[in-house]
Amino acid sequence: MTEEGSWKQLCCHGDYMSEAYWGLEQNLKTTPLYKIHNDNRAKLVPFAGYHLPIQYENGIIAEHNHTRNSVSIFDVSHMGQIKISGPMIYDAMEKILPISFSKIAPGQIKYTQFLNNEGKIIDDLMICRTFEEDHVWLVVNADCTSKDLDHLYNNLNKAYKIELIEDRALIALQGPNSSNILKTFFQEIDDMPFMTADWFNYNNEKFFISRCGYTGEDGFEISIKDRYAEKFINELLQCEGVKLAGLGARNSLRMEAGLCLYGNDISSSVSPIEAGLTWSIPKERIENGGFIGHEPIKKDLENGVERQLVGIKPMGKLPAREGTQIFDKNEKTIGEITSGGYSPSLQGPIAMGYINSDILKSNCEILLNVRGNLIPAEITSLPFVEHKYFRGNK
Amino acid sequence: MAEIYFTKDHEWIKVEDNIGVVGITAYASEQLGDIVFVELPEEGITAEIGKDIAVVESVKAASEVYSPVSGTIIKSNEDLNSTPEIVNEDPIGKGWFYEIKISNNDELSELMSEEEYQKHIGD
Repeated sequence: MTEEGSWKQLCCHGDYMSEAYWGLEQNLKTTPLYKIHNDNRAKLVPFAGYHLPIQYENGIIAEHNHTRNSVSIFDVSHMGQIKISGPMIYDAMEKILPISFSKIAPGQIKYTQFLNNEGKIIDDLMICRTFEEDHVWLVVNADCTSKDLDHLYNNLNKAYKIELIEDRALIALQGPNSSNILKTFFQEIDDMPFMTADWFNYNNEKFFISRCGYTGEDGFEISIKDRYAEKFINELLQCEGVKLAGLGARNSLRMEAGLCLYGNDISSSVSPIEAGLTWSIPKERIENGGFIGHEPIKKDLENGVERQLVGIKPMGKLPAREGTQIFDKNEKTIGEITSGGYSPSLQGPIAMGYINSDILKSNCEILLNVRGNLIPAEITSLPFVEHKYFRGNK
Repeated sequence: MAEIYFTKDHEWIKVEDNIGVVGITAYASEQLGDIVFVELPEEGITAEIGKDIAVVESVKAASEVYSPVSGTIIKSNEDLNSTPEIVNEDPIGKGWFYEIKISNNDELSELMSEEEYQKHIGD
């Protein structure tokens, strides 16, 4: 038995049963939670140069359901945390990112993308305008960190300090119960709305806490000094209902939430307009421009795009994974699946993929070519499972 | 008395006379994690030793299953269509994949005994 299709991001290719696959190979970095992973019988895999847990002993479905129903901890320390500061930083960042700082209050976070000159996505990221004047805090994809830094150095002059934070773990606490748990440590976080962040103190340690995540649930991302991470996570694990969840559940949760994975659904050959990320670009930035990639993005919006990212629901039970060709009823290729697998919440297969725009208009039937089986499928809107973000007490 | 053999790719076959029952090992099902679908061979088709004959879909990935012997498929385990998770729960029992009429019993000598297989996964 060998692995056939895999997540590009979550698994290295090759023999499923090999040592390399299961992360026993050398030269991988560990996160500050490595001991916790081992103590909790994680199955570690090499991911973005780190030993990271794909699952713990309960398995992906149990971890997924626990996150939807209660609260889970994810180690996302592999992600790049970058601090940038300097005079007129907001103006400088607006030349690089399609966002409007005039509409971002201190403490607010925005989802955005680094674009190249062709208007394609170099990486997607979260940017926070912190309460310190002239500072921003970025969280970028692990595999993209070094090219993102290059992009920043190439496009920001020497007056700006670009700092890769290498001494902080990043922990995601996700699920409907996450606020109840975290407020026992930080009372104030209860009222914090989705997409805001601030500094908090606990036991003389400084925590940078953002209310956001990658699961579609209410939750937080917590940046803590490496030296303190293990102790804090063990304290969290003492709280009722808190369990660990791995990269496997993280992937099925984000697919249900219809969130793009860099390397699968978005890449340097995809524009944010094709990927359905137009909502993340303020109208005035489209009109007035002044950021890298503006011209092609504007053209995409004016002329329309040739393909678009959609939700896809295969009929029956067979999962259709990334790389699966999408056919029209005459078996002509009209698109490709970029993320696909099993949805524990819907108890069946779900997928995301690109389909030619003219087909989308005509609303024709589609077939998925899974190893020669032609599976009828339905085009759906995203997300598959409703987002449950905390928008604030009204 | 049925005799059980194993492949290095983590399939097992229980043989009585020239009929074999095939599945994947506990080690394999554990490595794959939650199994959500099994694509089984149709009755009557011919299987070739070492060639892919079924596909196991776990939440993580799709994995091919290779036939431990050559022969003709007599029956597939239809219970796996509605409850694929029985492969995780009982891989060497209720989680069997298919029954095969073995065309050449000599092929069995290429396979591992239980003891040899335990050694193989212990490495």
